[in-house]
Amino acid sequence: MIKKLTALTLAVFMVVVLAACGTNGAGGNAGATNAAGNTGGANSGSSEKMVIKYWYAFGDKIEKAKLHMVDEFNKSQDRIEVVAEFQGNYNDLHAKVQAAFAAGNAPAVTDLEIASTGVFARSGMLEELTTYAERDAEQLQLDDFNPGLMGNAYVDEKLYGLPFMRSTPILYKNVTMLKDAGLDPEGPKSWDELEEYSRVLKEKGKIGMTMPADIWYYEALVAQSGGQMLSEDGKTAAFNSPEGVAPVEFWKRMASEGLIKIPVGDEAGATADKDWSNQMSAFKFGSTAGVNGSLEIAKGNNFELVTAFMPANKDYGVPTGGCQLVMTSKGSTEQKEAAWEFLKWMTSKENTIYQHKNTGYLPTRMSALETEELQTHFKEFPQYKVAVDQLEYARPRPMESAYPEVANFIKEAIEKAILDPNTSPQDALNAAAEKANKQLGK
Amino acid sequence: MTLWHKLRPYGMVAPAIIIFSLFFIYPIFYMMYLSLFDWNFVSPTKTYVGLQNFADLLADEDFRKVLSNTTIYTVLTVTLTTGLALLLALWLNRKSFFHGFVQGAIFSPHIISLVSISLLWSWLMDPEYGLLNWVIGLAGFEKLQWLSHPGTSLVSLVMVAVWKGLGYNALVFIAGLQSIPADIYEAASLDRSKPWTTFSKLILPMLSPTIFFLVIINMIGSFQVFETIAIMTQGGPVNSTSTLVYYIYEYGFRFFKIGYASASGVILLVIVGILTIIYFKLLSNRVHYR
Repeated sequence: MIKKLTALTLAVFMVVVLAACGTNGAGGNAGATNAAGNTGGANSGSSEKMVIKYWYAFGDKIEKAKLHMVDEFNKSQDRIEVVAEFQGNYNDLHAKVQAAFAAGNAPAVTDLEIASTGVFARSGMLEELTTYAERDAEQLQLDDFNPGLMGNAYVDEKLYGLPFMRSTPILYKNVTMLKDAGLDPEGPKSWDELEEYSRVLKEKGKIGMTMPADIWYYEALVAQSGGQMLSEDGKTAAFNSPEGVAPVEFWKRMASEGLIKIPVGDEAGATADKDWSNQMSAFKFGSTAGVNGSLEIAKGNNFELVTAFMPANKDYGVPTGGCQLVMTSKGSTEQKEAAWEFLKWMTSKENTIYQHKNTGYLPTRMSALETEELQTHFKEFPQYKVAVDQLEYARPRPMESAYPEVANFIKEAIEKAILDPNTSPQDALNAAAEKANKQLGK
Repeated sequence: MTLWHKLRPYGMVAPAIIIFSLFFIYPIFYMMYLSLFDWNFVSPTKTYVGLQNFADLLADEDFRKVLSNTTIYTVLTVTLTTGLALLLALWLNRKSFFHGFVQGAIFSPHIISLVSISLLWSWLMDPEYGLLNWVIGLAGFEKLQWLSHPGTSLVSLVMVAVWKGLGYNALVFIAGLQSIPADIYEAASLDRSKPWTTFSKLILPMLSPTIFFLVIINMIGSFQVFETIAIMTQGGPVNSTSTLVYYIYEYGFRFFKIGYASASGVILLVIVGILTIIYFKLLSNRVHYR
């Protein structure tokens, strides 16, 4: 009897656990099943249909927007069937594309985070798009893309990607909190103002901002200080200059006085979001990709959200971010032509408007900004417009092959400088620069 | 002997040998080969650099930190898991509904996927909103930073590993305890042996094959820890939780330096190999086999 009961307990545990895993699995597999279903349908429907794979990153609203556009593309014509497959975040996606390419099984089209364009293009994984773009110049209107977004599309003067879901970091403000604290909801426009605001908020038992020591935000603050991450030729580190040290000193001072909070570790970004959503902090830095989601949070928690430029030091400045669409180089000519059709579709004026309104990513085309549709949209939700205006101060991200590794050194140095009272920002960044130079010089 | 008779045994083992060679032997040699190159896995040009990757690795202070992290993690995890499991097994080795229930409960983490466990514990250990800090706060102690501080992050990961491994280890120990013949206990109690003497002179020696087995299994498992780190800390903060396998992954698949990653892989292979040999040589002399 007792043995039976023990077995029963175990069985109950197993059922609970398996049920939990089952739910997870269903979420992850939904895309795959769907994709398989599509393939099957395509094969039975018309045998001449070209089927190509498209790999993408991120779930939720971003995924929904991407899948919607893919679906529309498949419906719009009967020659090409695009099968979209979810691959996790950018790091997961890149690793999988690389492995699939080595195995000769790469998707025809994939999202690619902009800073990785260099390493992918230089190792021959990407199809150069220059001739395609020249051939279809009339239809593509390459000049129509916002010039501020084209910096990462070219590697060594050759076109490799088309701007797709592109972003800049922006400042999200809880204006209700600012008004309650008697602060001008127009600010903060500079680092000094951010500090003043944070002091007032601290007296009210809140904090100014929770933010992860993220490389992207660091790039922004270096730009605001008038500095560069790397030297002009990309062979040496430039972030240990006074302009590169200033952001870390600013963060360290603010954090040690309890004006801002800098959580570290893998959950840091999530913590920052939670603090802001729960109205513990008035500000957060975030990608413009989150405008749609953040508006919902603000509405749900009854506060007013306003977005703004990231505060200036010497001047405003931000890196761009997000992904572009690229074509891999190993497919057949027919596959590449199909992929090119798909690329043009996904980056069209109509679709850039669609993805912008459904996520918050930038409208990539100038002509899209002039449309009636976006003008009304901006009037109704000015939060969406900030990132577009901020593009004036935007710059591309470094694309050196060693940059992902260098970014890791920098992140480590920043965390060390902030956590360890005995390490000065200058020393930490000097050590990182020394390590970086070894890799960049190769 | 016909030809068939001579060939038959080879035919029988062929499937195993083929799978073994294809998925174990070939990758090992391919990794050794790759460790001599500077390559990114896809580019058409592979540059031969000899032992440069190994020289770079040994000169790299991050790599030394990674080795020390891995060692500390392994030592803590193995001693805590094995030690606590033995204590639990001694307590649970009796028949009652309650003991059976506890045994089932502590075994349950073993069958949950590590990814779920990592997500669960990330939430429990959240410095602001986590359950652990809430309890600590209620008890009036200062909150811990858990995964978010270099001082506590590695130990936090050890905690998760111990929690996950405890049930399985205890189960194996209980099986070991139950296979000790009852008449030996009877003889011991007739001789009025004290509990400690029974434990140290009887149970421990009779249990030594089990202990040996668990230590080896746990050690090899801890040396290869990856999932919890990839999900919970990604090696941070300040490199405090970067371990060998995570380091290999990072260099191979995030920084696209497959030669450098392979060189670290060779070092992992050598370390695990040496440890296994030492264990077999030293411990096997002391292990009591019936």
